[in-house]
Amino acid sequence: MTPGPIDPAAADPAPHTAPAGRWVTGASIGPADIAARIAGFPRMLFEHRDLVLTCVRRDLEARFKGTLLGFLWPLVHPLFLFVVYYFIFTKLLAQKLPEDVVKGRETTLAVYMFLGVAMWSGFGDTLLRGAGSIVDNGNLIKKLAFPAEVLPLVVALVNAVTFVIALGAFLIASCTPLWHLPSWDVLLWVPVLLFLQVLFSYGLALLLATLNVFLRDTAQIAGIFVTVWMFFTPIFWVPYLPGIRESIAPYLGWIEGNPMAHLLYAWRYVLMHAEPVEIFPHDPLVSVGVFALWALGMFVVGYSVFLLGKSRFADEV
Amino acid sequence: MSLPAIEVEGLGKAYRIYPSPGRRVLEWATLGAHKGHHEFWALRGVSFQLGRGASLGLCGANGAGKSTLLKVLAGTTRPTEGRYRINGRVASLLELGAGFHADFSGRANIFMNGIMMGFTRREMQAKLDEIIAFAELGTYIDEPVRTYSSGMGLRLGFSIAVAVDPDVLIIDEVFAVGDMYFQKKCIDRIYDFKQRGKTILFCSHSLYDIRQLCDEALWLNGGQAAAQGSSVHVTGEYTSFQRTHIDEAKRNISAQFGGELKAASRSEALPRIVDARVYRNGEECYEIKTGDSIEIRVWWENPRPEQTPIQIGVGFMRQDMTTCGGIGTHLDGIDLCGRSGCAILRMPDVHLLSGQFLVPVILFDREGVHKYQEFLLPENLVVRAQTREVGLFRLDHAWELRADVPAPAARADAGKKA
Repeated sequence: MTPGPIDPAAADPAPHTAPAGRWVTGASIGPADIAARIAGFPRMLFEHRDLVLTCVRRDLEARFKGTLLGFLWPLVHPLFLFVVYYFIFTKLLAQKLPEDVVKGRETTLAVYMFLGVAMWSGFGDTLLRGAGSIVDNGNLIKKLAFPAEVLPLVVALVNAVTFVIALGAFLIASCTPLWHLPSWDVLLWVPVLLFLQVLFSYGLALLLATLNVFLRDTAQIAGIFVTVWMFFTPIFWVPYLPGIRESIAPYLGWIEGNPMAHLLYAWRYVLMHAEPVEIFPHDPLVSVGVFALWALGMFVVGYSVFLLGKSRFADEV
Repeated sequence: MSLPAIEVEGLGKAYRIYPSPGRRVLEWATLGAHKGHHEFWALRGVSFQLGRGASLGLCGANGAGKSTLLKVLAGTTRPTEGRYRINGRVASLLELGAGFHADFSGRANIFMNGIMMGFTRREMQAKLDEIIAFAELGTYIDEPVRTYSSGMGLRLGFSIAVAVDPDVLIIDEVFAVGDMYFQKKCIDRIYDFKQRGKTILFCSHSLYDIRQLCDEALWLNGGQAAAQGSSVHVTGEYTSFQRTHIDEAKRNISAQFGGELKAASRSEALPRIVDARVYRNGEECYEIKTGDSIEIRVWWENPRPEQTPIQIGVGFMRQDMTTCGGIGTHLDGIDLCGRSGCAILRMPDVHLLSGQFLVPVILFDREGVHKYQEFLLPENLVVRAQTREVGLFRLDHAWELRADVPAPAARADAGKKA
């Protein structure tokens, strides 16, 4: 077999390595390169779709492999959570929201907290595991020329899947007398919110993961950061309750600056549509817009920092 | 005109060494004004071109920059200076089984590993049977990888890695894994790559492997090219460097400690081959014709012949690892007496046909089991045939043409067996 001439354009390059036939230098990348890479992100993602999907599936399978319930576990977890919140807050502590008293129902507070916790547990896990994702997979980066940007994305997507399962549990619970189904037209917002949530958490996880490569303290700091942030987000407290409303009034500006408060406001509006869940005095759509800007900005910042640090990953992990 | 497969120009790689994380933070805080790190150049000023279908072997001591060069070319880390270009599809094999997940079956890991190496699900589906057949793991392929022995894991990793069909293959001393049988299979596979005109770049501590598989070689020393060129030349340079290096070290030690150490060092007392060369008509010669008469002279030393009786063996191996012949003093019932000497192996009328032959000279113990030393000749033996016979050897033969020899009657059982 005689070797024919190589046509670089015809050669199908292994996607992880540099494109065939192009010079590779050590020159650092400039703003124009970064802009081009950000714009090319969807294409990059499409090229690596097999890799991303395989990693997400592997992560999920690995988590439940060898267990009796298998893929029922992500469903069991939120259902259990829901039951516990209902029992503790509604039955044990007899906490009720004003509208429950009016309507003679008692589950609103449990639903309120369940949604907050379900969303936050995925988000917090994305930040914590995402921050360590590049360092923890150092072997892949050093030995396989693995596209490192995929690693935090896999964590974000795995948590998105888990969250969707929790939402499924919520819908199942809604068919019981405990709660009622939200209206279908509002449910159309679910994919939009989910996308924005993944984008935001991915951007932030990329930023943390990149910093963590160079300074391992980042993962530790992220742990504290996520906990503090959780308490500053209205997950366990109800901002519009009488008493609380007055006390947080001076800090409303701060809460306005918390993107997760906006996201949660939107989620609760969508899934508890019938109830007044006012955190902010404006329309939930405004919060969706605010969070969308946050998500986009966080992604651009996170991905830019990642691109700047990427060339040195293999040397540092 | 086709482009060379690999072009490397003035390639260098520096690692930043920070004495502590605090120094890095300080450097960040001052935006680089306060330099908190020093640079370590693992590789510097390396240039070469490798044509399509050629193979390059990297040799050198540990820490000489071999792996760094392969990592840069494999794309896992970027060069600090210089540039390189690879024309064609690259597959790199820096570590076998990197990214295996212990809880998943071998079959599932084939998919995941291949996809992690940059291949699509469809490509892996197409290659699945081939990979499973090559690995020969039997029913273990559906068991979790954690139940595998380390050798089985390596088998699977190698099978995945060689199933891909790249134009350029970069290997970091990971072929030749598993048991003897599988090692042979690995070498055959690599050799097959070469035969099909693929470009191979690998590093190895085995100079035999480099000579056998590579046309060219690059010897790295302290991150820089100490010698490059034909693999025979470079491995020869490297061997003689190592020899003088060891001699120098020895001299330094004895200079420092005077006579005290003379008898102490145990390796001093072991037998060794001083030199070995090939002669034709009394002149050193490595390019011969079929039918030439040659002599192989082996100079040896044996400080303690009573404790360590020795034997000398000479092998002839073609480049594809076929052993064409092996001769030994223990096989011929010769005794090597005394503390030193020169064993002359006379071979009248060498029957070898065209080819390049590696001639390892081996110093055995009396039974021919333990190898004290394997010695490389300064060059490979190149044989050129003057006739058009095929095969490894010219067989002694004669033809006779006659008309008066009748064909024997057909055998009675000839038809039954078919």
